[in-house]
Amino acid sequence: MSERSKAYAEAMLAVAKAEGYLADVEDDLFRFARTVEANDELLLALTNRNLPTERRLAVVEDLMGGKALATSVALASMVVAAGRAGELGEIVDEFVAAAAAERDQEVAEVRSAIPLTDEQITRLTAALSAATGKAVEVKLVVDPHVLGGLVARLGDLVIDGTVRHRLDQLKEQI
Amino acid sequence: MKIRKLLATAGVAMALVIAVPSVASAAAKPSEFTDCMLKASELKTTTAQDNAANNCHKATSPILPALNEIVWGGIAFLIVAGVLLKFAFPALKKGLADRSAKIASDIAGAEAARAAAEAEAAEYQAKLAEARSDAGRIIEEARQSAEALRADLVARAEADAQGIRARASEEVQALTARALADLQGRVADLSIELAEKVVEHNLDHDTQIALIEGYINSVGTSGG
Repeated sequence: MSERSKAYAEAMLAVAKAEGYLADVEDDLFRFARTVEANDELLLALTNRNLPTERRLAVVEDLMGGKALATSVALASMVVAAGRAGELGEIVDEFVAAAAAERDQEVAEVRSAIPLTDEQITRLTAALSAATGKAVEVKLVVDPHVLGGLVARLGDLVIDGTVRHRLDQLKEQI
Repeated sequence: MKIRKLLATAGVAMALVIAVPSVASAAAKPSEFTDCMLKASELKTTTAQDNAANNCHKATSPILPALNEIVWGGIAFLIVAGVLLKFAFPALKKGLADRSAKIASDIAGAEAARAAAEAEAAEYQAKLAEARSDAGRIIEEARQSAEALRADLVARAEADAQGIRARASEEVQALTARALADLQGRVADLSIELAEKVVEHNLDHDTQIALIEGYINSVGTSGG
C-alpha cells in the first residue's frame, strides 16, 4: 500500500465522516471499485489519459449517478480526474479498512456467486468473528466467477469455500 | 727368353735358305747355260748328253747369294745382333720389366681397389641391412602408432556416439515428459472446463444456498 493511496483514503474518510455518510459512502465506493476491477474495458477507459477528463467523469456519473450518494460520486470522480483510476481499488480498500478501524472492526471481503440475505450476512459475520477472534465487517462482492459457495479475505487470511477453488484443486490434482 | 728364341729361329731360317737346293730358274745367267749346253753337246754318248743337258737346265736358286755374300752377310748379321744384344735388348728388357712391374702394380692396385670395393660393398650391404632393419622398425612403430590412433579414434567415436545416443535419449524422454505434461495440462483444462459447464448447469439456487449455508456453518464451527 503506497503512501499516496493512504493519503487518498484518509481524504475520503475525512470527507465521508464530515458529510455524515461514512457507511453509505463505504458501500458505494466498495461496489464501484469492485465493478471497475471486474471490467477491463471500463478500467481501460477510466485510466486512458488520452480520453478527456470530462468523458471519464461522465462514465463515472453514468455508473454511479442515481444509485450512489453525491458524496460517493464526487470522491470517485476526484480519483478518476486525478488520473488514479488504476489505483482506485487499492485506495478504496484502504478507505474501507480505515473506516472499519474507526469502528474497531476488520473488513472481510466476501465473494459470492449470488447475493446474500441480511440474515446470511449477519450469521456469516458472526462466524468469521468467531473464527478470527476479531470484530468483522463483511463487504459482499457478487462475483459469478466463483460459481458457487463463498470466499472471505481478511487481510492475509483467506477462507475459500467456492466451487471455483475446488475446481482449481481438482485441476492441480489432475 | 723370347729374344733368344727369335734369334735361334732366325739362324735356323738362314741355314735352311742356304741348304735348300735351288730349283730351276729362268733367271740363271744365259752365258753359263750356253756354256753348259756346249759342254753337254761335246759329250760322246747320247745318254750322257741328255743328262748333261738336264743338268744345264737345273738353274741356281735366285735367292741364294754367293758364298762370300753369305759370309759377309753373316758377319754383318752377327755384328748387328751383337749391337742389338748389347744396347737394344737391355733397354727392351728394361721396358718389358717396367711394363711387367706396371702391370703387376696395376693388378695389385686393381686387387686393392677390388678389395676396397668389396669392403665398401660389404659396408654398403651392412648399411643396407641396417637401413632395412631401421625401415622395418620404423614401419612397425608407424603401424603400432596407427593402430593405437585407430583404436583411440574408434574409442572416441564410440564414446561420442554413446554420448549422442544418451543425449538423444534424454531429449526424447524430456520431450515425451513435456508432451505428457502438456497433454495432462490440456486434459486438465478441458476436464475443468467441462466440469465448470456441468457445475454451472447443475448449480441451481437451492444448491447455491446449500453451499453458502455449508460455508457459514463450517466457518462458525471451526471458530467455535
